[in-house]
Amino acid sequence: MDQSLNFDAIVVGSGITGGWAAKELTEAGLKVLLIERGRKIEHQLDYDTEMKAPWEMPFRGEGDADLYEREYAVQRLNRHFTEFTQGHFVNDAQNPYQTGPDTQFTWFRSYQLGGRSLTWGRQSYRWSDYDFGANKRDGHGTDWPIRYADLAPWYDKIEDFIGVSGAAEGLPQLPDGKFLPPFALNVVEQAARERIMAAWPERRLTIGRTANLTREKDGRGPCQSRSICARGCSYGAYFSTQSSTLPAAQATGNLTLITDAAVEKIDYDPKTRRVTGVRWIDSKTRTRRQATARLVFLNAGAFNSVHLLLNSATEAMPGGLANSSGVLGTHIMDHANTLSAAAIMPGFEQWTSFGNRPTGVVIPRYRNMETMDGTGHTRGFSFQGGALQSTWTAGKREGGIGADYKAKLRKPGPWRMVLVAFADCVPRASNRLTLDRTKVDANGIPQLRIDFAFGAEENAALAQAKADATEMLTKAGGHVMFGFDRPGAGGTAIHEMGGARMGSDPATSVLNKWSQAHDIANLFVTDGAQMSSSACQNPSLTYMALTARAAAHAVSLLKSGAI
Amino acid sequence: MTGWNRRSFLAAAALVAVQAAAPSGAEVLRRLDPKEEPPPHCRMLMRLVADLVIPDTDTPGAGAVGVGDFVLVALAHGLEGTRRAPATDPSFAPYLRADGSLDHAGWLESRLGEDWLSLPPAQRHDRLAALDAAAFSGDPAAAPWRAIKALILTGYYTSEVGGSQELNYELVPGRFDPKVPVTPETRAYSSDWTAVDFG
Repeated sequence: MDQSLNFDAIVVGSGITGGWAAKELTEAGLKVLLIERGRKIEHQLDYDTEMKAPWEMPFRGEGDADLYEREYAVQRLNRHFTEFTQGHFVNDAQNPYQTGPDTQFTWFRSYQLGGRSLTWGRQSYRWSDYDFGANKRDGHGTDWPIRYADLAPWYDKIEDFIGVSGAAEGLPQLPDGKFLPPFALNVVEQAARERIMAAWPERRLTIGRTANLTREKDGRGPCQSRSICARGCSYGAYFSTQSSTLPAAQATGNLTLITDAAVEKIDYDPKTRRVTGVRWIDSKTRTRRQATARLVFLNAGAFNSVHLLLNSATEAMPGGLANSSGVLGTHIMDHANTLSAAAIMPGFEQWTSFGNRPTGVVIPRYRNMETMDGTGHTRGFSFQGGALQSTWTAGKREGGIGADYKAKLRKPGPWRMVLVAFADCVPRASNRLTLDRTKVDANGIPQLRIDFAFGAEENAALAQAKADATEMLTKAGGHVMFGFDRPGAGGTAIHEMGGARMGSDPATSVLNKWSQAHDIANLFVTDGAQMSSSACQNPSLTYMALTARAAAHAVSLLKSGAI
Repeated sequence: MTGWNRRSFLAAAALVAVQAAAPSGAEVLRRLDPKEEPPPHCRMLMRLVADLVIPDTDTPGAGAVGVGDFVLVALAHGLEGTRRAPATDPSFAPYLRADGSLDHAGWLESRLGEDWLSLPPAQRHDRLAALDAAAFSGDPAAAPWRAIKALILTGYYTSEVGGSQELNYELVPGRFDPKVPVTPETRAYSSDWTAVDFG
């Protein structure tokens, strides 16, 4: 055993929550090992395609479709996946997973320093007590052991540090945060906001709350309105591990970072009922290594954290680490997500916009709040989207050749507006992660198997969302062209979560209210795996708040000698 | 065009990179395995077709910026779904590959007529215009043209000329202005990525 690899804490995974865990624990004075399965990507130095034009790329930014079909069959479906960003997504052929016979699940992954913090959509929303109270209210899943008041100060802390631009609206279902100035609505969205609110005062179209800086902050530059964030941003204008939490952790002098290191097991001592460290495979040398620590934070991404717990089963815990309840891997969720309506928006032809705003608009949940007015569902849905103009790609759908056709494509096209629904996903025991022991990965580790299906609640919510979106865009002056009422495959929203849910009862949940394993006092899981319900807004801000809160609790336990 | 289907990623990347820098036929050909090289008449046909879709005006057209060769590379690599099996139409049979996909370039050559290259320009235009009209009025036998046309647009508007002279290109706008008046001089931005993806 290499004694130099003995730490106060080990953080597994360097994405959105891993970066936060590393920052909080190092700033509290702990010696921390941050371990990342993917390659090192240095801020500003390694964003290779950031400044490239399409004509500088081998396939003009479109990428090699043949290659993508063979090796990126899932990742290529991600809206941020392009030839410019393909290096920030996993190679599916090299990183396989299994799905059940009735499951369609697109698992979008980024295995690299910074994880999905480099490729995320940056939408940053607080959850409310409609969300933390959802399970108790309708009986699905298990009640959250926390409420909004428990998290509010931690949301403050996170927003203060990462920088979130947005507009305060005073809505109880989407609590306001500590915002940087908002991006503006364009002319169509501004008109839509006013017309929708005039007809339905409870439906509030507002600018998306996004972790892009609208002014300089702590050495990070303001957003340049490029909206190509997933290439990496040398301005540091959006929150990523590289731009924000990693430099803070490194500044303490307490951080050790190891990349290219895929953790395969967490070590557990049944005598002390504590985890003692982790083992990993160095992907460059193919050697196995290990490190020890007084506490472990799992931040590998919801499904990979569960995978790691399942794969760390021991004689003492044969069903997986921290799984005395038997619920580990169950009740996974992803928002039911679909394009509810797309409309042509006439009357604004004299206006266009300049620059690429890195966020769309949002219409927060308005159903099933004080009045249960959902048709066939008990929870919420919200919309994201925006108004945009077409450009040359619209010509692919149009007949014509020659100079007139070329002249037409020179102009910005007609305004359109889209509303995309995100519906709350009911936690179900049948939606679960298991190990497929018949299929192993390149390291000989059983692959993750995903069994997942949406149900009647989500389908009903999306049916109502389609009807609502259609009437709103019509009221806003649009001519609705089409819309859908069925969800995309699981994983489409890239909000996969659950599997190690939080709850008060150790018999029915994996984690307590501090994101701490009921079974193992020095093990914390603070990524999406901890979620007990899904809400209908983006979850990353909540993961970050829960991580900072858990880190403070862990430090206090460590300092008091309790762990 | 057989034998040119499965070129390596690197060979094609080199080809396209060379086109971007200097769209000269001789340069391109030197980078290719002779076995993989499309015959000259095939390159000429695709160049002329591209140029009829996007001709020279006050900015250069698609022919001048190497779009024909881009389309051939893109077809070989399945962009616009061109390596997936097409909707079945009996007329496609002679141009189906072993994997069920359509040899779009061979199909186009046949569809335009073996004599197309030797026709006067006005007749070449009229035949292509007729094919375009058929494809966009729902004729299933003309449907593959839509993918070829899409690749011509991609080749042109992602070229430096198409992207930054015919349209505007601004990699670093520096600000978002939500309300800008449209004037006769207004041009779309090829760097409006949301419009490119979802417009």
